Amino acid sequence: MASLNDYLLVSGLLFAIGLAGVVLRRNIIVVFMCLELMLSAANLSLVAFSRFNTVNGLPDYKGQMLVFFVITVAAAEVAVGLAIIVALYRARQTIHTDELASLKG
Amino acid sequence: MTLAWILLFLPLVAAAANQLVLRKSPLVPLVSTASALATLVLSFLLLGKTTSPDPIHWASIGDFHINIGIRLDALSTGMMIVVTGIGTLVHLFSLAYMKEDEARNRYFTGLSLFMFSMTGIVLADNFIMTFIFWELVGLSSFLLIGHWYQKDSAADAAKKAFLCNRVGDFGFLIGILMLWGITGTLSFDAMKSGLASFGTENAAYFTQNSAAFSVILSTAVLCIFCGAVGKSAQLPLHVWLPDAMEGPTPVSALIHAATMVAAGVYMLFRVQLSLGADVFEGLFASNVIAWTGGITALVAALMATQQDDIKRVLAYSTLSQLGYMVMAVGLVHGEAGMFHLFTHAWFKALLFLGSGAVIYACHHEQDIWKMGGLLKKMPITGITFAIGTAALIAVPFVTSGFYSKEEILAAAFGKNKALFGIAVFVAFLTTFYMTRAFVVAFLGKPRSENADHAHEVGPLMFVPLVLLAGMAIGSAWLTGALSAIDPRANAHGHTEGHGIILGASIASLVLGLIAGFLFYKGKDKDPVSIPLFRNRFYVDGFYDRVLVRYFQDAFAAIIHFFDELLINGLLVGGLSRGAASLGGLFRKLQSGQLQGYAYAFGLGVILVIYFTVFL
Amino acid sequence: MLALIVFLPVVAFIAILLGAPARLTAIAAAAVNLVLGTYAAFTWKCGCWDFSIPVLAKPAMNLAFGFPDGMSAVMVLLTVIVTLAAVLSGKAPEGREKLYFGSSLLISAGALGAFAATDLFFFYAFHELALIPTFLMIGMLGRGDRKEVAWKITIYLGLGSIVLLAGLVWLANLTGTFNMGQMVKAAGTIDPAAQKGIAALLIVGFGTLVSLFPFHSWAAPAYASAPAPVAMLHAGVLKKFGLYGLLRLAVPLVPEGMNAWLTPLLVLLLGNILWCGFVTISQKRLDGMLGNSSVMHMGYIFLAIAALVAFPENPLAKPAAVLLMFAHGVSIALLFGLTDRIERSTGSIDLQDLGGLAKSAPTLAFLFGIAAMASIGLPGLANFSGEVLVFLSAFKGYDPTKGLGPVQIACILSIWGVVISAVYMLRAYRNIFQGPAVKSTESAADLSLADRIPALLLILALFAVGLYPNLLLNLLK
Repeated sequence: MASLNDYLLVSGLLFAIGLAGVVLRRNIIVVFMCLELMLSAANLSLVAFSRFNTVNGLPDYKGQMLVFFVITVAAAEVAVGLAIIVALYRARQTIHTDELASLKG
Repeated sequence: MTLAWILLFLPLVAAAANQLVLRKSPLVPLVSTASALATLVLSFLLLGKTTSPDPIHWASIGDFHINIGIRLDALSTGMMIVVTGIGTLVHLFSLAYMKEDEARNRYFTGLSLFMFSMTGIVLADNFIMTFIFWELVGLSSFLLIGHWYQKDSAADAAKKAFLCNRVGDFGFLIGILMLWGITGTLSFDAMKSGLASFGTENAAYFTQNSAAFSVILSTAVLCIFCGAVGKSAQLPLHVWLPDAMEGPTPVSALIHAATMVAAGVYMLFRVQLSLGADVFEGLFASNVIAWTGGITALVAALMATQQDDIKRVLAYSTLSQLGYMVMAVGLVHGEAGMFHLFTHAWFKALLFLGSGAVIYACHHEQDIWKMGGLLKKMPITGITFAIGTAALIAVPFVTSGFYSKEEILAAAFGKNKALFGIAVFVAFLTTFYMTRAFVVAFLGKPRSENADHAHEVGPLMFVPLVLLAGMAIGSAWLTGALSAIDPRANAHGHTEGHGIILGASIASLVLGLIAGFLFYKGKDKDPVSIPLFRNRFYVDGFYDRVLVRYFQDAFAAIIHFFDELLINGLLVGGLSRGAASLGGLFRKLQSGQLQGYAYAFGLGVILVIYFTVFL
Repeated sequence: MLALIVFLPVVAFIAILLGAPARLTAIAAAAVNLVLGTYAAFTWKCGCWDFSIPVLAKPAMNLAFGFPDGMSAVMVLLTVIVTLAAVLSGKAPEGREKLYFGSSLLISAGALGAFAATDLFFFYAFHELALIPTFLMIGMLGRGDRKEVAWKITIYLGLGSIVLLAGLVWLANLTGTFNMGQMVKAAGTIDPAAQKGIAALLIVGFGTLVSLFPFHSWAAPAYASAPAPVAMLHAGVLKKFGLYGLLRLAVPLVPEGMNAWLTPLLVLLLGNILWCGFVTISQKRLDGMLGNSSVMHMGYIFLAIAALVAFPENPLAKPAAVLLMFAHGVSIALLFGLTDRIERSTGSIDLQDLGGLAKSAPTLAFLFGIAAMASIGLPGLANFSGEVLVFLSAFKGYDPTKGLGPVQIACILSIWGVVISAVYMLRAYRNIFQGPAVKSTESAADLSLADRIPALLLILALFAVGLYPNLLLNLLK
């Protein structure tokens, strides 16, 4: 049976891949997906902690509750985020992040 | 003594009413003239009074007070007669002279302001008050010289007059401060005792350093004298007075001949009386004053011999006569100087107003070589002008100028033979240039159309002339009656050498007359040409071109350059550039790439974790 | 209730933000404040104006206002007078009324707060509050290269304020209180070495705010660029904060420290008067000339401070300084206000481009003449009484047998400044108003009746104090 460490390793990998994607990729859609990946990584470690952290022989369900919250909020965030991306595309005709540098000082 | 306060403030009230209430009303000239007349009456009422009213505390800090107070004594009440008497006549004359001037109201308001300021100087009982009104006469002179401000020459002359006076006031103010430090008082009354107690308190010091007392006092007195140099247009600050003739002629008569320019002499004499004439005896400063006066008298008279503008001849003559007065004060015979001031005021005002009448009749022609034959065209003006001239050149026994000049010559004879020589030579020059002016302008035949069409001026103008002519003859006898300062009252025996003095003065008169007639009778243009004198010893040019342009302006430009370079460029500019380049460095970090920020953020988080967990 | 006077402009500012008519609200608030402020200044001795609410328990910090002496009363009086004149003579660019008048009110509030505060924290904070709208106004509504100028004064005054803050914190630390009254009582305990350090920080900090040489070069461009009300309020009122601070804190709290810096201070003030005086002479534009002249005239007030430092029992120095601060504030505000008028009516303030304006605009010429004469210290106008008292105070304690002391020498050299200011002022007046009319001045408009009111208000103040200085001196007893 897989140990807690294995779960955390996968979660860490997922997070690292997500972070790399957020930092390195230039397509906003991909960046966005990588962002979701990082959330999933966090969810995975939460579920794993919940499963292996038993209280009176039962898993600690608080962690799993938090996961549901994260999934709900992430869904909402995806809806808002995609809407923003669509609006951005309409305004600027691009979703390439190099071209979206109006914050440049 | 409310009368004295009314005397002081009435002209100010008139000026204020003119400026604020009447404004464009035709009453303005009349209000000013009425106030001048009223002050004349008040001055007569105050003659001989010596009890001064209580002063007003103008500025008080603790028990230190600067007062506005009135000092009534023979000196001030006598001087008031001159100021208000000539002031009234000039007001009357101006009513006609300025009739067609559209800025007539501004002119009369300025005259009233001047009357106020001059009264203040005369009546002042302390140094700060003198200084206050000293500045105010400067202002009124500035306004009146610049009356026709649209003419560049008038505007420049006004500015020049003000600035020259300011330079003098620089020294004057320092002198006041020093004298305050010495005597511990600003009031003329307490000055003598203040000086005495200064001497006794530091007696030990002065016995060790015997010269110190005279050095300290000399420095202060010389600084104060600077004020007189500016106001009375002595060398080297004399340049403003001839230029001041750009103002309307009655102004020249009142301010730049009779009263304001004499204020320097008046003030010096006031200081001499306040400190005690005996301390001035043998003082180094007295010598400087006497020589400044003597040299001014000489140089100005030389310049006067070559001027073509009738007003400029008179202006240089005024300079030269003021030199006499200053010399008398320097010789510690201030009362002789005051006596000459008193008589000179009347006949010089007469000459100026006479020249004003001539200029008015010749349609603002001022060049004597374009006049001629005016005696026949304007007999009253001509005769009064001749009387004025006679007084100025000191025709013996009949004119007032003779008596006062005699006093000065006597003072010089007693104290300093070199100055006596200069004074006699100046007397000769005076006769020469006045003869020249009179012969060229009034005798012979008209040399221009304007002169040909000249005719006698109206009564409003010739009545003041006649009255002044009366004073030109009579003022020497009226001095006592007007209780002004009369040196003859306490004749302290200058009988020795009396014959020499009389002889010298008559000889210089006769020689001057002969030379004047010989050179200028029947001439159409100046037969003598001395560029040095004509160009006023090149002093004006030197000031304009060298002092103002190179010294002041170029110096200012250099300072400005360094200010920009060093302080603005290096200090401030360096600071702001440093801040800007530091900002630029940080600005590079702000790429606008959110991913870059996220990357940096991630690195930061890792660093923080590293530091908190592993260290 | 001094807080009422301080916060009235703030309330008016909020009202303007909420949509009240900007100009009218500002004028109304300034007018009410003029009445209240004048009344307060002339009744300051009653002690009934004190106001205090605790803000912080430890260290004790109160939002406290009061009149510790007549000096703050005079400064409050100056502020309310200049504020009304400034908002009356201001003309906002189209559509920027809120910013324009709101900022002017905030500057006024800041100055009032700083002059009336008796707590060190608010003393400093109110001044900073007033600086912000100053920067904004110059940066957004200024003339010329306004961004550069705003940038410059931000850095400059910011640095000055930081140095000042360091000095104030040091002081508060040593005396253990923020209450300025208690600080003065605890002053004797500060040791000389610390005094010297604090005095240096205060001289540089306050000095920068007053444009003490060589920290002066922000002033002239700032005033040249600033919109008229800001120039009037800053040069007239806010700048006096530094001098006020030196007189209120530095001289009583660190007298020995100040005395240690006496000679450098004298040199610097001569830099103000002579160096900046010559810089002023070479100016070609009226606004630059006035800006530099205001720098120059600060030197005289520093001279009074130096006289006080050199001779602490000097009774004349402090009243002289306060009188001159008041006089200079009013006269420079008047000059800046009228300069704005000249520019509006002729389109230029370049001295070479103008001439003969007195013909077409006699009222303007008359009023400007009075202002110029005030500035060069003509008797009868307030500046003269201030200047003459400053000179007298410098010679207080002069012992002729010992020769001239450093303060007296500085005074003598300063008096040459009287000549310098006459040179540039008369030159400007001559070039602008006298001589033959030129194209830009031939048909220039004169002041309208409404335009005259602010000028007359200031001139009235100049004459009142000039003709009878005891009016203010009695307040200082």
